Order: sequence, then C-alpha cells, then structure tokens
Amino acid sequence: MRRDKLRRLALPASLLGAILLLALAAPVLPLGNPVSQDINHRLAGISAGHWLGQDEYGRDVLTRLIWGARVSLSVAVSATVIATIVGTLLGILGGYFRGMVEIGTVRMAEIVLCFPPMLLALLVVTLLGPGAGTLIFTLAILFTPTFARVAYAETLSVRALDYVTAQEALGARSGRILLRTLLPNIAPPLIVQFSLTIAAAMLLESGLSFLGLGVVPPDPSWGLMIRGARTTMEQAPLLLLWPCLALTGTVLVLNLFCDRLRNALDPGTGGRSRPGFLRRLAVLAGAAEQPAAVPGLLAVRKLTLEVQGPTGPVPVVRDVNITVAPGETLAVVGESGSGKTLTGLAVMGLLPAAVRVTAGQILYTGRDGRTRDLLRLPERALRALRGRDLSMVFQDPASSLNPLLRIDAHLGEALRAHGQRQGIAARVVELLRNVGLPDPESRARSYPHELSGGQRQRVMIAAAIANHPRLLLADEPTTALDVTVQAQILDLLAGLKRSEEGMGMVFVTHNLAVVAEIADRVAVMYAGEVVEEGPVAEVFAAPRHPYTAALIASTPEGDAERLTSIPGRVPQAWAMPEGCRFAPRCEHARAICDQSAPALESPAPGRTTRCLRWKELA
Amino acid sequence: MLAYAARRLLVSLALVWVVATLVFMVIHIIPGDPAELLLAQGGVAPDPWLVTDLREKLGLDQPLMTQYWTYLGGLAQGNFGYSLLDDHSVADEIALRLPRTLELVGAAALIALLFGLPLGVLAALRAGEALDRLLSSLAALALSVPVFVVGTLIILVLAQNLRLVPAGGYIAFATDPLRHLGLLLMPAITIAVGLGAVVLRVTRGSVLEVLERDHVRAAQARGVSVAAIIRRHVVRNALTPVVTVVALHLGALLGGTVLVEFVFNWPGVSGYLVRSVESRDYPEVMGIVLVISSIFVLLNFLVDLLYAVIDPRVRHG
Amino acid sequence: MSAPLASDVPLLRAEGLTRSFTGRGGLFRRSRPVVAVRGVNVTLQRGEALGVVGESGCGKSTLGRLLLHLMPPTEGRVLFEGEDLATLSGAARRGLRRRMQMVFQDPYGSLDPRRSIGAQIADGLLIHGLADAAGAERQAAALLRQVGLEASHATRLPHEFSGGQRQRIAIARALATKPDFIVADEPVSALDVSIQAQIVNLLADLRQELGLALLFISHDLHVVRHLCDRVMVMYLGRVVEEGPASAIFHSPSHPYTRALLAATPSMHHRAKVAPLPGEVPSVANPPSGCVFRTRCPAARPACAEAMPPLETHPNRPERQIACWRAAEIEP
Repeated sequence: MRRDKLRRLALPASLLGAILLLALAAPVLPLGNPVSQDINHRLAGISAGHWLGQDEYGRDVLTRLIWGARVSLSVAVSATVIATIVGTLLGILGGYFRGMVEIGTVRMAEIVLCFPPMLLALLVVTLLGPGAGTLIFTLAILFTPTFARVAYAETLSVRALDYVTAQEALGARSGRILLRTLLPNIAPPLIVQFSLTIAAAMLLESGLSFLGLGVVPPDPSWGLMIRGARTTMEQAPLLLLWPCLALTGTVLVLNLFCDRLRNALDPGTGGRSRPGFLRRLAVLAGAAEQPAAVPGLLAVRKLTLEVQGPTGPVPVVRDVNITVAPGETLAVVGESGSGKTLTGLAVMGLLPAAVRVTAGQILYTGRDGRTRDLLRLPERALRALRGRDLSMVFQDPASSLNPLLRIDAHLGEALRAHGQRQGIAARVVELLRNVGLPDPESRARSYPHELSGGQRQRVMIAAAIANHPRLLLADEPTTALDVTVQAQILDLLAGLKRSEEGMGMVFVTHNLAVVAEIADRVAVMYAGEVVEEGPVAEVFAAPRHPYTAALIASTPEGDAERLTSIPGRVPQAWAMPEGCRFAPRCEHARAICDQSAPALESPAPGRTTRCLRWKELA
Repeated sequence: MLAYAARRLLVSLALVWVVATLVFMVIHIIPGDPAELLLAQGGVAPDPWLVTDLREKLGLDQPLMTQYWTYLGGLAQGNFGYSLLDDHSVADEIALRLPRTLELVGAAALIALLFGLPLGVLAALRAGEALDRLLSSLAALALSVPVFVVGTLIILVLAQNLRLVPAGGYIAFATDPLRHLGLLLMPAITIAVGLGAVVLRVTRGSVLEVLERDHVRAAQARGVSVAAIIRRHVVRNALTPVVTVVALHLGALLGGTVLVEFVFNWPGVSGYLVRSVESRDYPEVMGIVLVISSIFVLLNFLVDLLYAVIDPRVRHG
Repeated sequence: MSAPLASDVPLLRAEGLTRSFTGRGGLFRRSRPVVAVRGVNVTLQRGEALGVVGESGCGKSTLGRLLLHLMPPTEGRVLFEGEDLATLSGAARRGLRRRMQMVFQDPYGSLDPRRSIGAQIADGLLIHGLADAAGAERQAAALLRQVGLEASHATRLPHEFSGGQRQRIAIARALATKPDFIVADEPVSALDVSIQAQIVNLLADLRQELGLALLFISHDLHVVRHLCDRVMVMYLGRVVEEGPASAIFHSPSHPYTRALLAATPSMHHRAKVAPLPGEVPSVANPPSGCVFRTRCPAARPACAEAMPPLETHPNRPERQIACWRAAEIEP
C-alpha cells in the first residue's frame, strides 16, 4: 500500500525536479541573454536559433521562459521558506503554551487573514513600489498566518496525545518536547502546506507581474511575458501560449505533487473507495429461493469472508455455522479480530466494500414461511427485508444517528421505508415510550446531540424494532456505555424479547458476563472461526474448547488471587497457523494440533466444538 | 440562534475595526518616510517640495493619534479621503463601482456552486470510474490555471479567433439588459472556473467521507432506499466542509476580481484599484482595500450563520 | 527498594484537591467553570495499591493527573514525601518526576509513532542523567525482557506491536527511572479480555518485586479488586466511599457503590436488582446537595440540601463514606 503510494509520487516528483533543475541551471545552459533585444526580428516565428520564436522586442522566448522560471520560483520559494519558518514557530509556541502566548503569536498572525491576499499585496506595493524584494516580503507576510494556523492546529491535536503527556511525566523540558516529540509529529501536514504554498505564491507573483506591479521589466517573469504577449496577441498568439503553458504546467505539477504527497504521508485516506452499498458486490451466484423450508429463523452455513491482503486474498471469517430459532437469543462472543462483527454484517448484507463473500449460505425463513439465501438475494429484495424482517443496533449510538436530523426523522424514515404512510408521528412517540425514553413527545423533536449516550441507544433500538423485526442483530450495543446504563439497556432488550413475540436476537459482544446476562445460546469465535457453540449455561459450566475455558478463567471475577491469562496474542489474519488456530496459545496443545485443522465435532446434543482433544480434556 | 448570530456579528464588527486600523497603520509600520516612499521612482530621491506638499495633503504632519481619530471620524461619516491625482472623493468613486464588482462576484459564485456541487456529488458516487477520473482531472487542471490566464485565453479564442463574444467592456443593465448580461458572463465564468473546481473537489471528498459514516450504514440497516440515503444522510452532512472551504477561498475570489476586471475591462472597483496602485494614489488604494476587506469580513460572518443553518449543534452550542 | 525514610510521612498525600476547567467561551462569552474533581484527599503509603473506580465524568482520570502534577490543582495541594509539588521550582519538580510515573489507557496514543521503542524507554534515563547512551540502551533491553518482550525489539517502531505489547512497552518506559509511584489510568480497558489478564498480572508481579506504590484507575470494580489493597469510589467529581478493596467489594455501603456492583454483569448469576434509573448528570450542571441523589434509591428530600462529607462510616470504622443516611441504610 505504502509502496504503491510512493510510486505514484514518483511522476510529479521527477517533473518537479526537472523544472527546478532547469531553473537552477539557467546560467550555465547555452542560452542567450534574456534581456538582449533584437528589434529587427520582433515577433519572429520559430527558427533554428529561436526554438519558440522571439517576442515583441525580439528577445528569445525560450531563454526568457527558462530565466522566468528562475525568477518566479526563487521569489515563491524564498517567500515560502520565510513564511514556513516564522509561521511554524508562531504556531507551535501558540499551540503548546496557549494563553497569552497564543494571543501574541497565532491570533496576531491571523489578523492578516482579514484581508484578501491580493489586496494586501497591492497595498504594500503601493507603498514600496514593485520589485522582487517587495514581492518576497509581501508573500512571506501573506502566507505566514496559514503556516501558523496549520502548525497551531496540529500542535493542539498532537499535544493532547498521551505520548506528549508521557514526556512531561518523564520530566522532559519544554524545549526537548517541542523539538524531539512535537515537531517530527506535526511535520507531515507542514510539508504538504509548504508545497501548496509555493504554488499559491507563484500564482500571486505571476498575477502581480501580469498587472505590471510585480517583477519589474526587463527582468523575465511568466506573468510579465503574458502581459507583454497580450498586447500582440492578434499578430502572434503563440507568444501568449508558451508562458501560459509554463505557468499552468508548473502549478499543475506542484498541485499534483501535493495531492500524492498528502496521500503518501497520511495512511488513512489511501484505500478509500466507493462504499459497497451503492452497488453491492457481495452477491453470490445461484438461486436465492430454497426448495425446502429450513426449520428455525436463521441458519448461517459455511460462511467464508475474505479481504484482499498484501499478497493475496486473506480469509477473515472461515466456515462459520450458526443458527437462531424464533424467540431465541444467540450471543456471538470473541475478541477483536475474531470475525464476530463481520458475521453479523454479512447477515444484514452490510459488509464493507473491502470484504468479499466467497462461500456459504445465510438461510432466512420469512413470515411467509419461505426460505431465502440472503447471500444470493438481489440488493433490492434484501433492502425490503432490512429494517422490516432484519434489524440492527450498532456499537456507537453517538455516530449511528445523523447529527443533522431530529429523532423523529430517524424513526419516521424507518416506518416510511416499509410502506407506512399514516399515523407516523403517533407511532414514533409510542415507540420512544416503549423503549423507556422519558418525555417522548418532546424528545421526538430533539436532535441527537441533545440526548445522552444511553438515550441515543434507546432511540437506535426504537428504530430497529419499529417494524416488528423477526431478527434483531445487536453489535456490541452496550460497549460504549457506562456500566449502570449498560444494565438498563440489557434490561430493555430482555423486555423487548418478551413483548416482541418470536423475535430472534443475535447479540455480538466481547464480554462473557453480558452473554450470561442476556443469551440462551452462545457461539465463541476465535480468529475467524466458531470454536464452540451451545447453550450458555452448559458452555460456561463445562466448556469443551480450551479457548472458551481460558476466556472464562481470565475474566476478573471470583476470589482467585491471580488471574489466569492466555499467553501470546491473536494471530494476524494473513499469518494464520496451519493447524488449530488456537494451538500456539493453548496449554493443552500437542504436536498433532499444529498439523491438522480440527473439524467441527459434537460433544453433546446441541453443542459443537472445534478441538481435536476435547474428549481427552473433558 | 439569535444569540449566536449577535455574537458572531459583534466579532465581525470588531474585525472590521481591526482592518480599518491596520490599513491606517500600514503606511506607518513600513520603515521610511511614507511621503518619500510614495514619491520615490526607481531609487531617485524625490523633490523635497513635493514631499512636503504630499505630507500636508495626507495629513502626515499631524501627530499620529490625531491622524488616527481624523481617519476614523471620516470613515464613520463615509469619508474615505480624496484622490491625490484629481481630488475626487474616493467614496463617490467606490459607490459607483462597487455594485459592479459585487455583481461579478455573485454571478461567479452562483455559477461555481451550480456546477461544482452536483458534479462533486456525482464524482463521489462514481468514485474510481471513468467519469470520476475525468471530472477530477478537469478540476485539478482548472485549479492550476491562473485566473488571468483563463481570462486571456478566453479572449484569445472566443473573442479574437472565433469572434463569438466581445473582448470585454461594460454596458449598464438599464441601457441594454441582454448585452449587459452577455458582457458579465465571460468574466464571471473566468472566476467561476477555479472556484467551481474547488467546490467540486471538496464536495467529492466530503461526500466520500460521509458515505463511510456509521449513521449512513444505520440508515441502510433500516431499509432506506439509496436515493433517500444520498439525499437525507449524505449530501446535507457533506455541506459543512464545502462551506468551510468556499469561505477560505472567498479571499482569493475577491482578489481574483482585481485581475479579471483588468483583463475584461470591467469597470468595477477592483480593476480601478490597479490604476490607483500604478499611480500610487494612496488614499484611493486605502479606501478600496478597506471596503473590499470589510466585505470579506462580513461575508465570513454570513458563512458563520450558514453553519448554524446547516448544523443544529452550532445553533445550540 | 530502599528502607522507609520517615515512616510517619506517607509517600504521597493530597489535601482538598479541586480542579475546575473553564470552557473555551470565545471572545464575548464566558462559560461556567466545570468542576471535574472537588475536595479529594488521598493518602498513599509506600508499596500500597489504591484503586480509583467510577463511571465516565467522575473525575478519576483528572485525579490521576493532578497527583502527578501534570496539571496544577485549582485548590488543594499534593505532597510527595512531605514536599508540596506546587511550590517546588520547575527544575526540582522535573527531578522528582523520576520517582513518579504514568501508564496511559490508550496503548496506541501513548507511544510516539515516529521513534523506536528502545529510544522511548531510554528517554527517562537520559533526561535524568541516570545513564549514558550505551548504558541507557542496555537498560532498555533489560526492561523489555522484564515486561515479557525481547531485547531485540528495541529498534522497532510502535506500529509493529499489538495493543497488549504496546502496553508492556509503556510499562517498561514508566519503570525505567525506578519510580516509587505509578499512576495507571485504565491501562487494560482498551485491551481484549485475554490480554487484560496478562497486563493485570504483570502489574501485580512488578508491584511485588519493586515495592511500587500504585494508583490504579478503572471503571471495572472486578479488576481493581484483583490488584488493589484499598479502593476509592468516585461519582461526579467526589469520593463517595473509600476503604479496603475486598471489604467494599463484598459488602458495599454507599448506594452508588452497591448499584455499580449490581449493574456489573456476572458470569455466575443474572441480575436480580432493577438497574439504577437515569444516567450520570452532566459535570457542568451537577445536582444540588448530594451529587448522587437524583439516581439514589435511598434519597430523601433532605439529601438535596448539602453534599454529605466523606466521614468514617458509623458502623464500619475501617471505611469512609459520604452519605447522609449511611447509618440507616446499613443492614
């Protein structure tokens, strides 16, 4: 990924290098004098001695173009260097010390931003007269506040990070923190800003020169050349073209360089692609209709999901089987990277675009008694089921509500999407009351930010049950909440299970205690596989997989002096063990466990395990 | 909401005062005798008689605070001083020309938003496809062409070679509305090219970012149709950064009018400024810079209000 | 470790710590100060482990930073071996930092992404002149082994490690200067369950080995109980109950502590008690009187009048409680 980004940087970087080299080498290139005139050949066309022709004073255009690059670039670069140094200094000091220092540095510099840049430049030019010196001075003043702002904002955000506090806690002096910790970490956006500013400075310089208020003739400058060529554009339109091309081309290369540099420096924006839901890719071939109805509500069979890794496809969920009966609550429990959330999203058809379904079935039996394979259902048909038959509650209620829409808009939209047209307002209030939101009439007209975390999650739940779904998926719905509020939400969900008759629930969590609280059956996932499944009470009392047993033992409950811990870490998706995926961390592992992947076995009716040695260990 | 607006207005008025003070101070901050500076021609020392005369004319012989109060007092009465060249009232000149500049800016902004916003959304929804690549490349190009190059090339191709449009000029709306608009179109499009490209790029990026947010996925989980998700959950949420970036480019937009009015002979206040700078007519330059900068500050105030309209959190915050 | 100096002076003592934050109101607006911590006293003996428990907004993290003087208190003072941190000169305070360290919650934000972990572990040694470059490198390697990593990892960058491994690195960094006191701010709550146990055990071992005093901040009473001798329960900036960890865990006195324990789900029994109503009020706008009264099942109108002081429990002399009805509600 990173390599690829750097490769994309190569083209604009080498073009930029070529331009700089040309400008630097101007004095040693076999070029004529850029200001020597040849009035007899004014406006002469292209010739052997003058590859790009001669201008209105008969001067060689190519020579002036290259020397013009030298002038334009040196003005832009000097001004930008000054602005970068001064602005960064002001920004860092203001951002690190805040208070009065901030007012004296960043806020002072920002006053310049009250003026449109061109106008402030003209004001200074009026006083000082045109010339390269004036230009550098003016441009430096104009761009200093931009750097101060960027450096200030970056300093503020980096300063709040724990590793800066850690330096303070270690007893480091401010100077050491500023230089060794802050500066390296705020450098990337400043580097991007540096090249952006050179482009902006070139534009302003050429604009002022074009007006005759920048570089003073007869010195060559692209802006001046365009100004000169304008007067003769009827006779020699090509003269206008060359400086325009040079200027636009250079700015374009600079801008391109910035874009790619930003991508290369920022790991976040690289893999952004169009989200899957605009055109769902995850539809498998084959008929969605199943000939025979399958008992139960939901049956996931041999589900396998892949992402594209650096060296090829990487399975992140492998061969997962789970079932949910009407009225049953199944908990899917696992650590991060176990594939529990992806399994839930696959049922809803909401997988991120990067995740591909490669095999399996997700069989859902609807109200009409017919069974469909959700992995093979077209998007339109699946959308009709979403929010009506299948609903989902997400982990973070703060980001799951649209901050710009009122609460009733969220609920109303869920009702409208499935055909309800009348009595929506009344139904919204009723739903909010059902989920225990105090004062539902006025809450319906509130915006999400006016509600607390627990209240927002109640709203999400109200939207999920608005159309009496047959299956509710809850993905870590209490993880972002405080313990006392978690208890309320668990209580609410348990109550809904009773009032919404026959509704099945899949509850995804990492917390075993929550599983005990809410679920009938549990599926334990590890490294993309279900390693054990069965009724909660049985599994917790007598686990049949060493991972389940270790997870239970490591939960800080009970009176043991010392917690049992699982050594090592969850394997990375692209470096899965050959045999049993838990073997490297398992205290019962034997040589055989490293060699062959265990198959799913049934130690008792209604229970499964994926362990080669479960019989010996039982 | 009202309290928010009042607060922002107060800040803006304070900034206008800061701008006025700064414009006043510039002449005193820059080292050297301002009168000599203004009269200097290529390093030749000016005639001392002229210097004394100019100093008197600009009131530079008065104590600094007296100058400042006279200046502020004048501003309060709408008096921006008198031209050094012909003793015309600067305020009168601005009053005549400012509406033409504002008309140009308004038309340019309208064109830029009309094309930039929908094309930006379209590019985001087709991210990675040929259409997106085409639009994004065009925007990158448009961002790199200086505004005076666009203007000059438009004149070269459309006016000189193809003789489709006049090369510039101005006819009052009252005289001939159609030809007025026709003459407005070219300079307005010239300014709109760069701004539209900015709007397109920011809209595209912003929409792509919003598409990945949790609340979009949550709306999808409720079974809301794609069209409704785009309309209700994506485009509106994507607007805030667009407003921010357009606001950041307002300065460039207003500055751009200087070049475009010059290129197209549009008799607005900005093009006039070039003439004043050339003749180093300081009172005129001061007046025009002050007025346009104040408009810039007040436009930013309107942008702040726009935030509040878009986002309820700003309204309540 | 070294023999106790003057046994009557506790290692760390905080008196009446209050910290308020003024929101950024802007030019024409002054917002009301938000009091994050109010009137908290802490005493910590050498080698003692004190747990601080509470939900979001209770001020537990602020308290940790106040004790290390990473932010100055608005009122009150912190004494380290009897010396007031606020009156020390900057240089003297930086010198003392060698003896008190911090481990943070987020293992991804607490390490500088651009420097090798070895260099970061060695930082404290170099800052305080405890070793030269070569010595610091050797000691960093030894510290890595001590926290269960390999010495050869020293040259790697933080992003090459998992969350649990990073937390080990952060602990190694905190241990480098051989401190007497460590504040651990939710050091396991960002980790997976199986990794949490590793880190809790590591902290317990290190404490035993090195005789460290520990302030362990957590929202999870269970974890605190495994690691700490004493526990302080906080709610909305106030300490509502304090005492021996296992005693409080087995028979909580304050209605809030009870509710917190009852609300924590358990693998062994399903909740029998109805959950506490409502949510933690905003710190910016706390209730009058007792801060907990709006959610307290035992609240009486009189509770709205004043905040009860933290006092020795009438029936349980080993613990302190801030409740007007402590004597009545005790079974």
